[in-house]
Amino acid sequence: MKFFLQLMLIALLAYLLEFLLPWYSLAIAAFAVSLAVQSKSNFMAGFLGIGLLWFIAAWVIDSNTASGLAERVALILPVQNKILLMLLGAVLAALIGGFAAVAGASLRKEKRKW
Amino acid sequence: MKVFRFTSSLLVTIVLIFLLNNSWLIGGSRIPPLGKFLDPFEGFWQNAESDDSNVFTKLDIPGLKDSVTIEFDSLMIPHIFASNDEDLYLAQGYVTAMHRLWQMEFQTHAAAGRVSEVIGAGPNDRILNFDRSQRRLGMVYGAEQTLGSMNADPLSKMMVEQYSKGINAYIESLTYKTLPFEYKLLDYEPEAWSPLKCALLLKNMSQTLNMSDKDIEMTNALKLFGKDMLDLLYPDNEGVGDPIVDNTGQWKFKPITIDTVPSALPQELINIARKIPGSDPNNGSNNWAVGGSKTATGSPILCGDPHLDLSLPSIWYALQLHAPGINVMGASLPGAPGVIIGFNDSIAWSVTNAQRDLVDWYKIQFTDASKSKYILDGKTLNTKKVVEAYNVRGTEIFYDTVLYTSWGPVTYDESFHNNGHEYYSFRWIAHEKSDEVLAFYKLNRGRNHADYMEALNYFSMPAQNFVFASVSGDIAMRIQGKYPVRRKEEGKFVLDGSKSSSGWQAFIPNEQNVMYKNPARGFVSSANQFPADPTYPYYITGKNFEAYRNRRINQVLQQSQNISVEDMMKLQSDNFNLKASECLPVFLTHLDSTSFTTEELTAYRILKGWDFINNKESLGASYFEAWWTNLMPMIWDEMDDEKYALSRPTSYVTIKLIREKPDLAFFDIRKTPEKETVTDVLRKSFSAGVLRIGEWISDQSKKPGNESLAISHQPVWGAYKDSYMRHLLRIEPLNIHVNAGGNSGIVNAHSQTNGPSWRMVVSLEKSGIKAWGVYPGGQSGNPGSIHYSDMIERWTNGKHFSLSFMKQPSNRNTQMQLTPVSK
Repeated sequence: MKFFLQLMLIALLAYLLEFLLPWYSLAIAAFAVSLAVQSKSNFMAGFLGIGLLWFIAAWVIDSNTASGLAERVALILPVQNKILLMLLGAVLAALIGGFAAVAGASLRKEKRKW
Repeated sequence: MKVFRFTSSLLVTIVLIFLLNNSWLIGGSRIPPLGKFLDPFEGFWQNAESDDSNVFTKLDIPGLKDSVTIEFDSLMIPHIFASNDEDLYLAQGYVTAMHRLWQMEFQTHAAAGRVSEVIGAGPNDRILNFDRSQRRLGMVYGAEQTLGSMNADPLSKMMVEQYSKGINAYIESLTYKTLPFEYKLLDYEPEAWSPLKCALLLKNMSQTLNMSDKDIEMTNALKLFGKDMLDLLYPDNEGVGDPIVDNTGQWKFKPITIDTVPSALPQELINIARKIPGSDPNNGSNNWAVGGSKTATGSPILCGDPHLDLSLPSIWYALQLHAPGINVMGASLPGAPGVIIGFNDSIAWSVTNAQRDLVDWYKIQFTDASKSKYILDGKTLNTKKVVEAYNVRGTEIFYDTVLYTSWGPVTYDESFHNNGHEYYSFRWIAHEKSDEVLAFYKLNRGRNHADYMEALNYFSMPAQNFVFASVSGDIAMRIQGKYPVRRKEEGKFVLDGSKSSSGWQAFIPNEQNVMYKNPARGFVSSANQFPADPTYPYYITGKNFEAYRNRRINQVLQQSQNISVEDMMKLQSDNFNLKASECLPVFLTHLDSTSFTTEELTAYRILKGWDFINNKESLGASYFEAWWTNLMPMIWDEMDDEKYALSRPTSYVTIKLIREKPDLAFFDIRKTPEKETVTDVLRKSFSAGVLRIGEWISDQSKKPGNESLAISHQPVWGAYKDSYMRHLLRIEPLNIHVNAGGNSGIVNAHSQTNGPSWRMVVSLEKSGIKAWGVYPGGQSGNPGSIHYSDMIERWTNGKHFSLSFMKQPSNRNTQMQLTPVSK
């Protein structure tokens, strides 16, 4: 349960921070949330929270346009198709989210010890 | 343990962010900063425009006097309604930048030799060499001259300044999220716009159209082949078809004469092998106007289609400009204020390129190897050294020293493409002062023929054939530009730079340019052919004059009566291949059908039954074009010299020689031991063409996705030609391929990457002007918008869009309101 709470909060905060800060603010979101809420798998909470957020956001944008931009970018990079392109972005961001969540969580536990 | 976990995961996070927030060169290609770029909230995904983005917006724009209403129609064409000229041009700048900022900046970077700043030196320094060639041609120098003239006139100064302000207002509003796609892809940012960039853009057009250069090639040909052969291979006037203006015996003015002695014809070989490419000979155009006596409505119809590189974002940006004293619509060039080709309530106009020689090379006598001094009229003068710096992306600054004499830049030297010890200064019309912006200010507001004439007096370059028609019933043609007065043969070869008498001593006065009004035949037309009849008193030379489109257009117009708008649209997409109709029957008689392979026999039968129409379904067109593209290099293999630049004669001359001079030594193929005749060379190129088609067929079946389909790949012309609109960055996924007919030399001049870049038809009816237009692209430069390419399909099928020429905002479409910033 805590895992889902952590995951949802990370996704929500990352989403909100994007209105004000650059893309890497997702690390701040994962870090800060995990400082407050930890679970058995902090990495997965950060990874999935950010990964799902990015994947779904890209998916929604793509389903509202007939321009075909995603296919074109997929061929430029090159990855095979636009779903892989969405996954690529999501996984890269998710890794950062995962490590930032671990960092946040470890800091918290460390503090408690002191 | 926890400390370790904390530090290590924090470190990994930071390293990942660093890696993904920066752009990297991997295996020579630049990878965008993946984290930043793929971020759905700010990265490239934000450039994917939602299909229903029709919302009313209101924006505060600094520098506006009053509010401006911009209405976008269904094609995203802006109709700008302002209450004064200043606001009008500011709004034009703003809205053009909104759709085309990246393109505008990239094109001016290209003009100024600054592309390597954005994309690096390129493989084998290809991009850096492009930049160097631009500066060595004096592009920036020319733009500064133009800027000086624009600033000297209060109207043109106002136009470029307001236009720049509008662009800058847009640039200042940008964040990473709203940055155009290409900036994100290449990871850089736009810089501030300035009037100099408007001038650079105009120089870019001059380079595209008015830098046809043959002097070095002709000089080499003179030395290698002699004068008689030169005149046979490269006549000044091929004497084919009607000139643009036939005014025989009616040139009633006293021409300027030059009394100094012209320089003697040069006797030298110039060791510059890889010359900077001049204007693409495919850059031509058609335009014509038919008078009321020949139309169904009794009112004139004007048509125009400039042929240019089919690039994306498109060269043209359509718009309407409305303010007190002006209501004009048509095609504008992103980067220049005003409408370049279009119409207003009273008149319409369009342009084709005037193929005149506006380039010269002057041989310089340096006093010693340091090249710091040179001789002119017996005096010793100092060379000017200009150090050009290139901030090549990813490496240190590259410096290049360019020498200037009073003639112009010494383009080729030891460090750049010159393998000899002779030096030449480059003199080009685009180095002259000029103020085209003012010409368009006046033309956009013109009410009648007299206004058109007055406006064109301000137009110097790129030299164009301006077709004109008015609601009051006039039609006219004027070949306007700034042309040096030349003596016979002058400008065809390199010139002696040690005597100022070799220079341009006078320009043809505007009123003595080639022009006429309401000719008896009832129409005017131009298609880049030779401009005037032989009684025109000035010597005319050019790299090439068109021989086919012009005759086809005149033939159709001559025969037609009761012409409708639909007839004119049909003529714009006419695919009749006049060249093939004249040469193919002759070629076929040279073939001995007993020696054919099966494929050759099929090809022969197809060609024999072909109707000479280059439709997309045509098989004959593919076989003919494949034959032709193999024939030309085989005949003119002598011109592919690695040491000395030479040029091939034109198609028309080649065909004439095939008919009339079958024994010409050039028909021999140099690399084969036997001596070929015209029959041999036709036979060999026919086989090569058939082989090429065979290869194409087998390539098609190997393409991914095609092998499983049991379809036979017919080499129909549209598929074989495989034409496409090419993104300026030449990145294949951003290009758009189309299946279409036409080719160069055909009225529908659509070759693989070049063709009608804007087709316009205007019916100048007294009850109100009606107009149609289309271009191969779309209003938006954003590959993430449906308006990036939404006109391509109709354009490909030879259909036009009706242009809505509005009197006031209709409130039916998407609107944008620009309002002054309240202080």
